Amino acid sequence: MAFRAARAGVTDSVERARAGDEGAFAELYREHAGRVYALCLRLTGDPGAAEERMQDVFIRAWERLRTFRGESAFSSWLHRLAVNVVLAERRASLRRELRVLPAGEPERLERAGDAPREGAGVDLEGAIAALPAGARAVFVLHDVEGYAHEEIGNLLGIAAGTSKAQLFRARRLLRERLER
Amino acid sequence: MKHPEREVELNEYADGSITPEARRELERHLAECPACARDLERLRDLLRGASLLPRGIAPPRDRAGAIAAEIARRRVMRRRTAGVGLAAAAGVALFLTFGRNRAGAGWTVERVAGAPRIGSATLETGGRVAVGQWLETDDTSSALLDVGAIGQVDVRPGTRLQLVAARPDDHRLSLIRGTISAHVDAPPRIFSVETPAGTAVDLGCAYTLTVDSLGRGLIRVTGGYVEFDWLGRRSVVPMGAFALTRPRAGPGTPFVDDAPQPLRRALLAFDFGDGGAAAARAVLASARREDAITLWHLLPRVDGTLRRAVYERLARFDPPPAGVTEPGVLALDSAMSERWWKEIRRAEWRRVVLRGVQKK
Repeated sequence: MAFRAARAGVTDSVERARAGDEGAFAELYREHAGRVYALCLRLTGDPGAAEERMQDVFIRAWERLRTFRGESAFSSWLHRLAVNVVLAERRASLRRELRVLPAGEPERLERAGDAPREGAGVDLEGAIAALPAGARAVFVLHDVEGYAHEEIGNLLGIAAGTSKAQLFRARRLLRERLER
Repeated sequence: MKHPEREVELNEYADGSITPEARRELERHLAECPACARDLERLRDLLRGASLLPRGIAPPRDRAGAIAAEIARRRVMRRRTAGVGLAAAAGVALFLTFGRNRAGAGWTVERVAGAPRIGSATLETGGRVAVGQWLETDDTSSALLDVGAIGQVDVRPGTRLQLVAARPDDHRLSLIRGTISAHVDAPPRIFSVETPAGTAVDLGCAYTLTVDSLGRGLIRVTGGYVEFDWLGRRSVVPMGAFALTRPRAGPGTPFVDDAPQPLRRALLAFDFGDGGAAAARAVLASARREDAITLWHLLPRVDGTLRRAVYERLARFDPPPAGVTEPGVLALDSAMSERWWKEIRRAEWRRVVLRGVQKK
């Protein structure tokens, strides 16, 4: 019983998928794809990139299933993996862009997300997608996904205070856009 | 924001992380400063909106097959690297189990006029479009495509589309440009058409969908309902109604075919221009009882006082049924919203059918 309790996050599908059952993994995909896609979409602000990240998340999940010990729910493990995959890709993409950007133009990267999206109107999803990348990540993780500032700081490699400042900025930008 | 120096405190107050001393001081200020009280209310509206966002959003395309293929490819590569070369069978098994794909799947197509093409081959009389293949008509050709065994799509001149999925539970086309008329008789959500501005999901219906060379679209529903989705922005278009669609914006707010011009213009500015709240007010000002489906769609797309104004107008035209309350609707309670929608669409259906009968 103690064993079962300690592995509360391991459902039958997860157990079978860990044993290499592809059908069970397909069930997990069907069950969690919408939630993972929503998270990727809100973190990237781009539907095409979100699809690619979702695919990466499930491929990574398959490869790492054996490391899932069941201390938390499978969904929590998967969502954290999704956050890590999206943020890792963002860091890699930033490095790639910095290599080709002339010196003194790094603010271009931050501005990229600021461009108003045609037709976003007063739709909250559209307004979130139009936020600068850093502010968007903190807003999504804190206000949509319910992460604490300390956790966000660890995930993004920033101080908790910086996370807080980014959050308040994101909220201000969203309100300005929604009340326009 | 009248007092930007209060921003941090207001946020911490809304989050419940403010110190007791700062809380007392802020509450004193709020009692005297309506601007900051309003800022706090708007901030709370935003947080409420964030908490009500859908937890899941269906991906625009099923990636199961692609995921399975990549997993299989990696497995093969690893085994090859390890000197074990017999992994292909396992990879194929995984692909088939996971993706439930598709080899040999396809739909029949009949030439109606001119010389439609499947890929680079010209269609003489009839043929078959396989998953992944393109069907194209030029200015003088048209074709009739069977949607598996559940319906037909009339492919008009100047159209380019691709068969994306042909499974019993997923009949899917991608329309890049041109016009199709679809007639489908199947349970909801079995047939869908992807466009550059989102996906039209069949809820048991007949409709005409046009996409121009810039990806802008127009859907006109002639039977049943179509749901048009883009990134969680959803428009349900009932029989007798239209919706415009735009890339990077998704479906606009649906409107009935006899909607007044000022309402249509205001919707265009609201959905795809910079009209914002002013355009929403203009929609409200010109809305009639017959425009209830438009007002219902506006509810989640506007905030605060504007949402209340939309509610009041809609309630005057189509009173909410028992159990649907104003606070619930304003908080975007999905169950209440759906119940009211059922009433509204029933009334709209009766109106459209009655008008059809009167015309005869």
